[in-house]
Amino acid sequence: MRVNPLKKSIWVFHLNTGSCNACDIEILDALTPYFDVERFGIKLVASPRHADLVLLTGPITRKTLPKVINALRAVPRPRYILAIGACAVGGGIWYDTYSVIGGVEELKKMLEENGIEIDKIVYVPGCPARPEAIIYGVAVLLGLVEQKVHGEVKIAE
Amino acid sequence: MSLKKLLKPFKLISIAHKSGVVTVLYPYQKPLITTEFRGKISIDATKCMGCGACVNACPPNALTLSRRDDTIVLNYFIGRCIFCGRCAEVCPVGAITVTHEFELASASTRDLNESLVHRVEKCSGCGGGLGATSRMLQYVILRSPASENYVHLCPNCRKKKLIQSLAMKMGARTEDYEG
Repeated sequence: MRVNPLKKSIWVFHLNTGSCNACDIEILDALTPYFDVERFGIKLVASPRHADLVLLTGPITRKTLPKVINALRAVPRPRYILAIGACAVGGGIWYDTYSVIGGVEELKKMLEENGIEIDKIVYVPGCPARPEAIIYGVAVLLGLVEQKVHGEVKIAE
Repeated sequence: MSLKKLLKPFKLISIAHKSGVVTVLYPYQKPLITTEFRGKISIDATKCMGCGACVNACPPNALTLSRRDDTIVLNYFIGRCIFCGRCAEVCPVGAITVTHEFELASASTRDLNESLVHRVEKCSGCGGGLGATSRMLQYVILRSPASENYVHLCPNCRKKKLIQSLAMKMGARTEDYEG
């Protein structure tokens, strides 16, 4: 699905779901004048009700799960998620720990059970993801650039 | 309004002119990447022997090894990788290199998986799976040349061979084994 990038600016809501704050600092770094994401129309908002895109960091702990679901329910359609960092993408170091649900993949199934549709999820790996990687992730979400990684199967001769 | 207040914006302009632009024009300007920067790893399919040293070293289990009867599959899930570079450190053949690639955003986790499939060698005695790739056998032979005589046999066939040679030494006839 391609979102028309020129039609509107992307307003982002920052949602920490139990991350170590490294990814959050990188997000703040991306929002500073040094990287200046406002030149792409990306703006941080304080409420999920105003947001188009949720910047989700952390492996989603069991404690934060109900709050995450509530916050995502409050986001108007079309709703997008940018899963930032190794934890949000695949659980990271905590992928099989009892106290986390293990990334956005698992969250997606739970949201489907709750009747919350997510229009597009873009995964940004990195521990933490670089500010440039986050900007690149938003560009992939908007369809401005082609994604570089493709799953490949190599065969050793 | 005082003149001082009116001139304030012009003062700011002069300050801004002096300090210059700090914004990195990221997509058009190359990001600052030092030589020590660790990005995605790349596994060289022509060197990797499927030993699994990297799998043991990987802290978040981004690298996983699945052994089946006739294949050994090394899977690299970038989404869980913390880019520590330990796998490159421990690789005995230097098949893993740490690249500077960090633009890894993808719309599905399937695109974040990379697999390397190895074929498992067959036992030259009974034809069963040996659990090792031909490169692993070559690696072992290179380290201890004496192992060349039995490295292509599975543990059961090795036992048989040993017993056979012992029995021959003690005076057993060859017909006993050929029949």
